[in-house]
Amino acid sequence: MGIIETKDFGIRYGEKVILSAANIAIPKGRFFAILGENGAGKTSFVKALIGQNVQTVGTLSRQAKRIGFVPQFRDITRDYPLRISEFVGLNYNQGWRLWWQADEKQAIQAALARMDLLGIANQRLGLASGGQKQRAFVAQALVQKPDLLILDESTASLDHEHKVQLLQTVKQLQKEEDLTILFITHELKLISQFADGYLLFENGGVNQGDQIALQSLTMQMTHGHEEDEVHDV
Amino acid sequence: MFSYDFMQNAFMAGTVVSIVAGIVGTFVVARNYAFLTHSLSEIGFAGAAFGLFAGWPALLGMMVATSGASLAIGALESGYTKRDNVTSAISALAIGLGILFLALGHTSTTAATGILFGSVLGISHQDLWLLLALAILVIVVLLSNFRALRQLAFDEAGMFLQTRRQKAVRYIFLVMIALSVSISSQLVGSLLIFVLVTLPAASAKYYVTTTVKLMGLAIAFALFGTWVGLTIAYLTNLPTSFFIAMIEVVIYLFSVWQFKKSA
Repeated sequence: MGIIETKDFGIRYGEKVILSAANIAIPKGRFFAILGENGAGKTSFVKALIGQNVQTVGTLSRQAKRIGFVPQFRDITRDYPLRISEFVGLNYNQGWRLWWQADEKQAIQAALARMDLLGIANQRLGLASGGQKQRAFVAQALVQKPDLLILDESTASLDHEHKVQLLQTVKQLQKEEDLTILFITHELKLISQFADGYLLFENGGVNQGDQIALQSLTMQMTHGHEEDEVHDV
Repeated sequence: MFSYDFMQNAFMAGTVVSIVAGIVGTFVVARNYAFLTHSLSEIGFAGAAFGLFAGWPALLGMMVATSGASLAIGALESGYTKRDNVTSAISALAIGLGILFLALGHTSTTAATGILFGSVLGISHQDLWLLLALAILVIVVLLSNFRALRQLAFDEAGMFLQTRRQKAVRYIFLVMIALSVSISSQLVGSLLIFVLVTLPAASAKYYVTTTVKLMGLAIAFALFGTWVGLTIAYLTNLPTSFFIAMIEVVIYLFSVWQFKKSA
């Protein structure tokens, strides 16, 4: 049984139908690209998945014990004061303790190490580079050891080299920690080198495909558009 | 200086207010609530004016008005309305009402000046106990929700799965800001609230990088300004609020300048 399965699943906002008759099954431990134009229902689907309030019909089953989510937008200005290690621990959001407990500290250290941030753990997040910030965002999502990690356009603001670096790290996480990854993106050509499946949201529905289908989809969509990634960014 | 009762009271009140302002201010600044805090002080003015008109203590009128207004702002702010616009609308209404109640209540200009600019040297022993009780309430409530509040203030985008308690923290926080504004206005007056709530915390963020240290340094800056301000005011016989404001503004400008130079 897959980690995420839907049966005749749909989402609507009032009268407006966003998604209907969705039947998908994502096996555990896969790296899926979530594709589709803006407004096609990607974000709504993820919202339903992480348990935010959306109106749904049909069934959506989710076997994940814990979900890590890296949102698309974060307002981190240059004068944002927190050091990276404290930012990474912000998801410990219950109780009153002003200090980290031993197990929390350990989990934060592990997540920092995982994302190659140990060397700059005490630096201000506000003064970190774009790539470092994205790695800190992913580290925060990893702290509580999720088995499903969802990233929302995490590579959008990075240059090519850092895009590839981040995706390589995420790919490694998938393999070494047996994480299931959902990666929302518009950069089809780039993601096709890393993902082993996709969900394509279009025309009010969703299609699922495996790695081979992803390759042919990429060929088909970027044919004659060598610069496609640049356009989509 | 400490042989005078009113100076003892003023120093104790100043110390209590600075500690509350430093803690609340850290979260206010992180959550970009500076404008809201400033508006709440204007709303506090209206509440105090209403209090005097109705024959209540000014502090009570202030607490009722600021708490009510902050809950209204919290309920109205959403994806559709910008928080600043909602805040402006409510504070415009409040200032209007404040002027109306001052006129209706035939409040003396001394009382009005006291509300606007503070009257720390006029704080009685009884006021002090009330101040202390409110301060303890605010600190206990804030610190017992420390972790939820920290995430709300420093990384709201990261709070995607919210328990009911975490949703409640938003409102708890707003009411605590309202109470701290009312408390602080006893010292610096409602017009200068950001001098103690916002400026010390905004200065602290250029030096330290954990929430606990931010609170500590904000308290230190607030205490420094209050103590030195009170002392100079005693020596010169000029208004305390002026000196506290000057000291905090200088600390802030110096912090920004230093940070810009090094970053």
